[in-house]
Amino acid sequence: MNPLVGGLSVIGAAARRLLATIGSEARFVGDVAIGLRDLRTWIPETTTQALKLGVQSLPIALFIATFTGIVLALLASYSFTGAVPLYFVGTLVGKTVMLELAPVLTGLALAGRVGANIAAELGTMRVTEQIDALETLTYDPVAYLVVPRVVSGTLMFPLIVGASMIVGVGAGWIASVLLLHLSSPEFVKGLRLFFQTFDVEYGLVKSASFGFAVTLIGSRRGLRAEGGAVGVGRAATSAVVYSAVMILVLDAFWAVTWLLGREST
Amino acid sequence: MKRVNDAIVGLVVLVIVGALGGALAWVKGSDVGKRQHEVVARFHDVGNARVGNVVVIRGVVGGRIQGIELAPAGWVDVRMKLDPTVQMPKEPVVLLNESSLFGEWQATIVERSALPHDETVRQQIADAPHDGNVLPGATLPGIGKLTAVAGQIAGDVANVAGRVEVAFDDQAARELRSSIRNVSDLSKTLATTVRMHASDLDTLSNQLRTAIATMQRTVITVQGTAERIDSATTSKQVRDIVENLAMASSDLRQTSTQVRDLAGRFATSQTRLDSFLANSDSVMVKINRGQGSLGLFVTDASMYRRTDSLLVQMRALIADIQANPKRYVSVKLF
Repeated sequence: MNPLVGGLSVIGAAARRLLATIGSEARFVGDVAIGLRDLRTWIPETTTQALKLGVQSLPIALFIATFTGIVLALLASYSFTGAVPLYFVGTLVGKTVMLELAPVLTGLALAGRVGANIAAELGTMRVTEQIDALETLTYDPVAYLVVPRVVSGTLMFPLIVGASMIVGVGAGWIASVLLLHLSSPEFVKGLRLFFQTFDVEYGLVKSASFGFAVTLIGSRRGLRAEGGAVGVGRAATSAVVYSAVMILVLDAFWAVTWLLGREST
Repeated sequence: MKRVNDAIVGLVVLVIVGALGGALAWVKGSDVGKRQHEVVARFHDVGNARVGNVVVIRGVVGGRIQGIELAPAGWVDVRMKLDPTVQMPKEPVVLLNESSLFGEWQATIVERSALPHDETVRQQIADAPHDGNVLPGATLPGIGKLTAVAGQIAGDVANVAGRVEVAFDDQAARELRSSIRNVSDLSKTLATTVRMHASDLDTLSNQLRTAIATMQRTVITVQGTAERIDSATTSKQVRDIVENLAMASSDLRQTSTQVRDLAGRFATSQTRLDSFLANSDSVMVKINRGQGSLGLFVTDASMYRRTDSLLVQMRALIADIQANPKRYVSVKLF
């Protein structure tokens, strides 16, 4: 084969695969949107998924938030010593937890727990042909399996992150009082100093997008699993990896589109 | 089982939403269900004041800013919610100012008489509308403005310091040191001079004292002479002497007039002589330069030699004429 033709065919094949992947993923998102119309199929499953993906994820999320708050308070006091009033520990803990750490750390933790869980569950169903059986019974597998997970993930992630914000700030407060000998009024003064409702809104909206991405990626990876247990494991691994990457990409996206240029007070 | 799941999820959702809402309200300082009264103050500019900033009365937090809105005619209205226990001072005014160096702002309600002695602030208060429902307000400059001014001053000082540094270089320092040394030497010299002059003054005062004594003696002598002259004026001898003196002075005047004329003539002759000498000098200079016939004659050696040769030949010719006159003179009558 002519080397020039060979090189062009390699590039063409790569472009075709890329477009096919984008088209396939976009079609999957479209299927989810279409599945949303089938309320009677996905609504009964939503609370079950909300319990599994959201409520049962609370302990790990709150555990992470607790230690994040404590470490943030100690880091802040370490940075502020001698130069900045110590009540700014409250400011730093509050702003950092609400704007960044609670959404992102919780999102990464849930990407591992929820994303891998969804991918493994749906992958097992795929390789054991349960999904084929659903299709045989004229059930829409997307409406029955994917939509409840995506909806519950999108709704429950902000709640989990909201709880993480409260626990993280509370842990930082307790650590400041017990370890830094900062009085409660001082911590609260710092916390209230530059507080805006926007900080919470930003964190919650961001976490909702994380929940949507994690559940969507987990579902997609699980539905495309093939080759038995190895394929399920591969699907779970790729779901976690892609979810983590997507969380960081979305984090930057929201920072650029919503946070950049906004005046902080 | 499904119902239990729903209940658990619902409970969790409610708890988290309630906790989050309560935490938000608490952090924002919202006083839900608490009766408060509202106060509005009017400002030209509110600086960096924001909703939620505290309102301070006599150093105590008595409320919070609830809203900041643009008002007609270029004013800004700030709505403040105050605790019902807060008692407003007589003639209250509101100041917006920074409460710390880190960008925190607060509204401070003070009595008009307690305003800071700042002309700008007083002018802002005077400009604000004096409505019973709206308090006049003024904004104190923020730390940003102050640091900007301080920075400008620091820049000016640095500029001046730079100029001084340029002007007061090593050379200037050496010159200053030299000047100080010179002043020191001068002061030493002055001290020496003063000491010397002090001894001279002693000598001088002694001499002066001696001179005064001499003058006293002279005065006594003059006094005796005057007494003698006084006795002499009574005889005719003095008049003769005076007349003789008048005649002598008249002769002397005539003589001096003649001397003056003589001196004038002499001066004229001297001027002419000067002119003559100047002309002579000019002629001599030309002669020396070889200008003119005489100059050529004087300076040209060949002409001297030719003239000398001519004189020798003429002398020989005259001798030959004396010896043989018929050769040169022939007399014929017809």
